[in-house]
Formats: sequence, C-alpha cells, structure tokens
Amino acid sequence: MTDAARILLVKTSLDGHWRGLSVVARALRDAGFHVIMGGMLTGAEIVRAAVDEDVDLVGLNVGGHVEVVVRAIGELRTARPELPIFAGGVLPPSSCRRLNAMGVETFPPGSSLDDIVTAARRLTAPVAGA
Amino acid sequence: MTRPPSPPSFTTRSGIPLQASYGPDDVPADHRQVMGTLPGQAPFHRGGFAQGYRTKPWRIFQLSGFGKPEDENERIKFLLEHGETGFLMEHDRNTADHMYNVDHPDVVARREDVGQTGAVMQSVREVAICLDGIPIESTYGHAGGAVVQHAPFALAAYWTVAKRRGIPLETLGGTGQSDFFLTYLGCVTKQQIPTAAGLRLNADIIEFCSEHVPKWVPVSIAGYNGGDTGLNAYQELGAVIANAIEYLDEIKRRGRLDMATAAYRVAGVNFRTTMDIFEDAAKLRAARKAWCTLLRDRYGITDERAQRLRIHIVTAGSMMTYQQPFNNIVRGTLMALSAVLGGTQSLGVSGYDEAISIPSEHAHQMSVRIQQILQHETNLASVADPLGGSYYIEALTAEIEKRAWEFAADIERRGGFLATLDSGWLHGRARDNQVAWQQAENDGRQTVVGVTDFRGNSTPFEVDGFPGVNDAFDVALERLKAVRRERHEAGAHAALKRLEAACRGTDNVMPAMMEALDAEVTLGEVGDLFRDTWGDWQTPELI
Repeated sequence: MTDAARILLVKTSLDGHWRGLSVVARALRDAGFHVIMGGMLTGAEIVRAAVDEDVDLVGLNVGGHVEVVVRAIGELRTARPELPIFAGGVLPPSSCRRLNAMGVETFPPGSSLDDIVTAARRLTAPVAGA
Repeated sequence: MTRPPSPPSFTTRSGIPLQASYGPDDVPADHRQVMGTLPGQAPFHRGGFAQGYRTKPWRIFQLSGFGKPEDENERIKFLLEHGETGFLMEHDRNTADHMYNVDHPDVVARREDVGQTGAVMQSVREVAICLDGIPIESTYGHAGGAVVQHAPFALAAYWTVAKRRGIPLETLGGTGQSDFFLTYLGCVTKQQIPTAAGLRLNADIIEFCSEHVPKWVPVSIAGYNGGDTGLNAYQELGAVIANAIEYLDEIKRRGRLDMATAAYRVAGVNFRTTMDIFEDAAKLRAARKAWCTLLRDRYGITDERAQRLRIHIVTAGSMMTYQQPFNNIVRGTLMALSAVLGGTQSLGVSGYDEAISIPSEHAHQMSVRIQQILQHETNLASVADPLGGSYYIEALTAEIEKRAWEFAADIERRGGFLATLDSGWLHGRARDNQVAWQQAENDGRQTVVGVTDFRGNSTPFEVDGFPGVNDAFDVALERLKAVRRERHEAGAHAALKRLEAACRGTDNVMPAMMEALDAEVTLGEVGDLFRDTWGDWQTPELI
C-alpha cells in the first residue's frame, strides 16, 4: 500500500459535526486510499498540511460560509496549482455552483459513497495505486 | 434510474428483530406486571402526569439564532408571535463553543463563518440586546451554553440580564444545557476543557441553581446529540443513564445537596426521535421507567417529583434530506408524532432546510405549524399514552429498556460515561453505526425517498437555504472594542481574579461568574482562564 494515493481531509470551519466526514474517510480508506485527517484548519494551515504530507488530493468538509472555502481554495491553488480539491458538507445549491465553477467537485448531503470514491480515483488518476 | 425494490427489513432501526404481530405472551413477565399502571403512576413509562396534555400541552420549543444579537432577537420574536411557547438561544459556534472573542486568530481567519450558527455574544451587553423586549419573566427560555465550557458564562449572562431588569432569580424559569454528548461526542470543538473539569462545572451549576435559581433546569442531558452522531435508540438511552449516574455520583460525593433535589434537577433530559416512529415512542416510555428504577434502586430516592423524567425532543436532523427538501415537512411531522405518542414535554421540529442551512423564517414557521396542527387538529392531545397496552409497544418498550441497561452496564465496566468519552469508546460505537447505516443506503438496503430512490423532481422551487447576514463579525468586533474601552477596568480585572481563585479552588464558580459578567468580563477572557486552569481535552481519534 506504499503507493496508495494520499488524501488530506480537513474541516474549514470551527463547527465540529464530524459524522459526515467520518463516514467519507472510512469509505476512502476502505477503497485503498491513505487518508490523513487534518482537523479544523485555516487556509494557511491547509496549505502547510498538504505540502508536509505530500498529498495527491485535498477534501474540504464544509460546515460554514462558502467564502471561507473559496479563500482556502485560492491559497491552495497559489501554493500547489496542480493539486486537485473536492468538497462536501453543508453546501447549498448556489455554493455548489460557485465551487464547481472554480473546478472543485462538490458532494452535498445525500451524495453516494460510490460517487465520492469514484471521484477520488479519477482525481488521483496519475498516481499509481488506490 | 430506479433500483430493484429493497428487500424488506423486519427489524427496528436499532436492529431489534420484529415479529409480524404481537400477543400477550410476547410481553416479558416483569413488564407485564406494570402494564396496568396508569399515566401518573410509578414507574411512569405511561407518562409522568395523569392528565397528559389536557392540562399541559407540550412546549413548542425551537432552536433559533444567527448573525448579530439583534438578528437573533428578531427571529425569536418572530417564532413567539407565530405561537412558539418557549425559546432557545443559539450562540455562535466559532466564539461561544470555543470561548474565543472574535479577535482570536482562529476566528479572524474564518470571519465569514461568524454568526452562521448563532449570534455572537461576548459580553452581557450582547445578551441584553438578544433578549431585548422578550418577557423572560413569563417566557420559558433556553439560555444557550449547550457546550460544557460555555454553560457557566451563558447562564450567568442570562441571569445577569434578568437581575438588571429587576426579576428575582428565585422566580425565573428556563433551562441550561451543558451537554456532554454535544461537547465530547457529537460536535467536538477544536479546544475544550477536559471532561473532569466539565463535570465539576456542571455540579457547580446544579448546586447553584438549587439555592438561587430553583425554577431553572440547570443542565440537560441531551441524548439527541449521541443519537444523531450514531448511537442507536437503546444505546442513546443507555448512555443517558450512564451520564446521569456520573452526575448523581458526583453530587453525592460532594455531599452538599440532598439526592432527591439533585435528581429532580437532573431529570429534564432530551432525546431524538427518528423515522422509526414506534421504536422511538417506545424509547421514551422505556426512558421514564428506567429513570424511576435508577433513582429507586441505585440511590434509594422515593420522591415521585424526582422520579418523573421530563423529556424534550428534537426530531432527528440527520433524517432531513438535502434532495427534495419539501419531503422533510412530512418527515418532521412523523417524527413529531413519534415524540407526542411517546409523551414528550416539549418539542422542536427540525427545519425542512436542515440539510442545507440553518432554518429560514419559512422553515421555522413550518416547524411551529406542524406542532400546532398536531396539537389542535388531530385529537392527539386528549388521551395520555395512547399506545399503552399494545402488545407490540409494550414488548418493544421492555426490550429497549433491557438493552439500554446492558449498554449502561457496559459503559460502567469501562470506567463510566466520562471514561468512555475520554477513551473514544463511545465514538467508536457511534461510528460503527454511522458507517453501517450509510452503507445500507449505498447498497440499496435502506430506502430514502428522493435520495436513494424516487429521485424524479418536478418542483419549480429551489430551496437554497438561509444565507444569514454578512456583518456579524464586524459588528461583534466593534462591540468588543467598546466593552474594553468603556468598562471599569479595575473592576473587571478584580472580578476575573476572583473567578480564577474559584476555578483553582473548590468554591462554586457560579457566584464569581455572576460577578464577572456584571463587571463586563468577556467570553474570551473566561476562556483563557479556563484553558490556563484546566488545559485542553485530548480528543480521541474520530475515524
């Protein structure tokens, strides 16, 4: 499993509801990914964790305002322009459209685990394994 | 795309096997002995009160709040005008739950999040704005402080506003929360005082209320937060029992309060109801019986006032779907029905936009209307415990109670409720269920209408949720500066010092907390003091 793709999962807000993220993390781990739980991180902290952990994909769990997420994506894109990002959590339809327009796939409540795993495989496709 | 029909599942949501029908022999002998008791008679599974809802309808009690304190004030008044009969204040998660002022770096970095989940209230001034014009002397209020480390501050702020209005605390009704399930299991914060410090604070609140605010429910164990994190029905009840044992043992150890009074104070609890209508109605019946049994057998308490468990229900937010959100009005109604059949004393129905945002005004209004329709149009409120005597419901009540006691015993063997939070054992039980339930939806064993099946949607209305306001952070920052500029600095400093002495010693912290709030000590200062005194809880691994 040394060549498994590495996914960093973080919460962008200080809202601690962890159920959704926990289920997604389990599904990704069961699908063979190396999952790193980053906790509640600011944009700058997400960049640092992504670089330190040398990850192939970042998953943003949203429990707050979309503007905070947009800013975190901007910081990540500046530091690691090639790094794919996807997002899930409490995302109203308009927030999904906003993030989709930035090239970030979104998985609001009710998304299937199969779809999330499939997206993770596609987004990390250049990397062997997983 | 429609999948083949799901194979029928003949168990409750918690996995209790179900027969096609039930007869007298399916009710266990020990439960059959109490089947003939009436509502208002011990062991109270049939209800705490003989007249049921005839003399006291359940309280319509909706969680509400966002933005600036004046935004939250406006929403509370909106709900009261529409017929809500009590109100629940929600404080901003970023600041309140973490005991940070808005100028804390972790909050500044997320400034747009501020006010998304409740109003920002860093000093008694902001709580006064939130309560402006609301007759708290005659309206039952929930002061917030759902998270353990925030509770003493939130309660002291509310009570200080009452005192300044000339309302004697001896006459003030309302409730606190200070819930371990939310704090350490369901909604884990970035920083939190350790569980042992939380237990001490809750005991302080219980003792302080007994002496000074006797009509107040000091703390409220909220099984909901365990249930909606993943504990099933009997685990939720078992963990609530284990939590109550931890509180009552602590009060007993301290020896300052008689146990019947302590038990009465702890007897206002909360559960969730889900879409398994009968299982959850039976859970409430089992809860009342288990509570009475616990007090009688473990603590020798025979005071019937204490033995009557009082229940608040919130319908499960996790059952509300993002897809086809208007379906959630039906779900809210059915989960509310479950709560009423189970004999709840108060009820909050989650908004139809629960999976999208905090409630819009319209979603809030619908949550109130659902309850009013149940109260006034259905005749549900005329007869207490309408399910009583059903072989099925009585058998299910007995089975849930039995399994709940087993779960509570399991927790005790592992060192008790606090120990299973510290070790992450309870989180593991919740997580196993989270994953199993999600897998069941994923592979077609559990149908969720509009999500796993029946996905065609012809509604012309997109529900985009409630956006909140965009000036909560800026206004809170200005108000924080104003407090610092205008308060009597030496007085605030002295009050903070006295609070520190109380925290580091064994005196009840609440008198010093009241002084601190009156001296305009701020949220973040109390948070810093708590962190210096008790350090940070070591969060268990969450996946």
